[in-house]
Amino acid sequence: MSEAGDLPEGAGHRLEELEHGLFTSDLSVNEFLLIKEVGFHPLGFVMGSSIYHIGIQTRRWGQSQELTKLTEAMYNARELAMSRMEEEAQELGADGVVGVRLDVNYYEWGKDAAEFIALGTAVKAEDGRSYRNQLGKPFTSDLSGQDFWTLMQTGYVPQGLVMGTCVYHIAHRGLGQTMASAGRNVELPNFTQALYEARELAMTRMQDEANQLAAAGIVGVRLEEKSHQWGSHTIEFLSLGTAVTRGEGEVTLPTPTTIISLDN
Amino acid sequence: MPDPAGDPSPVPGERGTEEAGKADTGLPEAAVRRMTEHAFTSGLSVPDFAACLQMGLRPAGFVQGSSVMQWQWYGYSGAGSPFSPVGQWTAATPRSGGYQRQYPCPHGFVSAEHRLWGQNLEQTWIEDAWRSGYLAAFGRMVDETMDLGADGIVGVVDSWHPLTDMGVLEFHVFGTAVRRGEPDGPDGPGAGRGHRDRGPWSTYLAGQRLAKLLEAGYAPVSVVADVSDVRVWASCVTQYLAAGSVGAWGVRTTSDEITQVSEAQTAVRQLAREHVRAQLGPDSLNGASMQTTVREVGEGDADLQCVLRGNRVRRFRDFEPLPRPRPTVRLR
Repeated sequence: MSEAGDLPEGAGHRLEELEHGLFTSDLSVNEFLLIKEVGFHPLGFVMGSSIYHIGIQTRRWGQSQELTKLTEAMYNARELAMSRMEEEAQELGADGVVGVRLDVNYYEWGKDAAEFIALGTAVKAEDGRSYRNQLGKPFTSDLSGQDFWTLMQTGYVPQGLVMGTCVYHIAHRGLGQTMASAGRNVELPNFTQALYEARELAMTRMQDEANQLAAAGIVGVRLEEKSHQWGSHTIEFLSLGTAVTRGEGEVTLPTPTTIISLDN
Repeated sequence: MPDPAGDPSPVPGERGTEEAGKADTGLPEAAVRRMTEHAFTSGLSVPDFAACLQMGLRPAGFVQGSSVMQWQWYGYSGAGSPFSPVGQWTAATPRSGGYQRQYPCPHGFVSAEHRLWGQNLEQTWIEDAWRSGYLAAFGRMVDETMDLGADGIVGVVDSWHPLTDMGVLEFHVFGTAVRRGEPDGPDGPGAGRGHRDRGPWSTYLAGQRLAKLLEAGYAPVSVVADVSDVRVWASCVTQYLAAGSVGAWGVRTTSDEITQVSEAQTAVRQLAREHVRAQLGPDSLNGASMQTTVREVGEGDADLQCVLRGNRVRRFRDFEPLPRPRPTVRLR
């Protein structure tokens, strides 16, 4: 399974069953109803996985810098998992995938290796129109059924789950630096600059992906920061969101109704 | 906290005075690159995004600011020792007007284990440092917003957390910059359009919560956050009560109020309220949240910190009754 295009045999059998009408999904009942309400039908639960060996990269003890090899590894591994999930969706003839979750798991048996998994529910429009994205692939999004319904009401349609990542090494402070500001609470401009740079790089890369999809914007941007297994001085900044474009036709947004819940 | 609606300089001394490595606009190069991209970014959830469109506000971009501070809890030198028979606070004088209160020992006995006095002291230097870090991060977010030509910032999220293991604290503030996209959008002092020379308005609210605020006749002016910090050096009485003992010094062993700690808790909250009130001017605070943390630093000794946050809002039209809500029952 060296390329994104080669799905395992097990996946083939499962997808064949799905093509014969049985659908699986991890949607809640409410999500299922809302997706049906906006004219989509769930086709099946799709997933992609990649076990990736994350190498090591030397870093300078006292210098803040991006660790480009680790950035590439974290990006490529997720991209592979996403591509395989998209391929499963494509096999099903889906227009898109909703509720995508991207997870990273570490196992005891694989030192320096991690499993990147992408999971979601493939959906297809019931009116026969294609909702595939600019690249002709099924759209992906981490939107829940409720969010998908709401987004469609605004006249925007999802194009793809876009992401950008940056693995950054934050410098250690030398004794001289520590002593120079001992006893004072002051800003450390180099550290501020390093964190700023890392987050901005992750977000710029995410926006680049959105531009490739000719998106009008990205909604639900999340900035996640994790040290994984690298220690506290090396941090991955991951930026994720759903790229959207304006659909056809004018949309009049409904005025929300004030309600009072009698449930409790 | 700056007042974008009323102050010509959102964060005094911030804009264009960043340290080395920043571009001419005062922001890091990477931020400037990102701002010039085509697509908008928004940290809003889909329901909040939809509500903003409904109000005539269009997302312009995800904006953020960060400031990394060296952080130490002990910066005062020259403080008198509570074990000193002199019992006077010699050098650790709080800023003029800062809160302090002494609790003398009633026993007239001093030893290595018995303090002559205790003290509650407002640590103004920690408050100043916190404010400096928060305002630096906030000011950078405002700079990004102004570079986008946006009118306001919705859904502001702020945090401060220790970074790595180096005794440093990062302040991080982010939100979604919005422009007034429709001519029939909300209006009022700062509701739809921030003034370019006054800076954008900002609020922790987004989506329907912001819509309800506007519906009630209030417009957001600015997020407000401030801190108070009181250090408790426990007196002998406080130490014994905190330890749940001992009758030997004439202290009752039944349940009793620990006056020094109670007063410190009251003072730290009162100070936070006063700090925030000083920033409000004629406006009101909406959706306030108060968070008090206690860091124990020894037997009975503690550092109390209180952060009070909320939305500074201004009435822009008279109150009109809200529509009568429709009772609903969810089918579960």
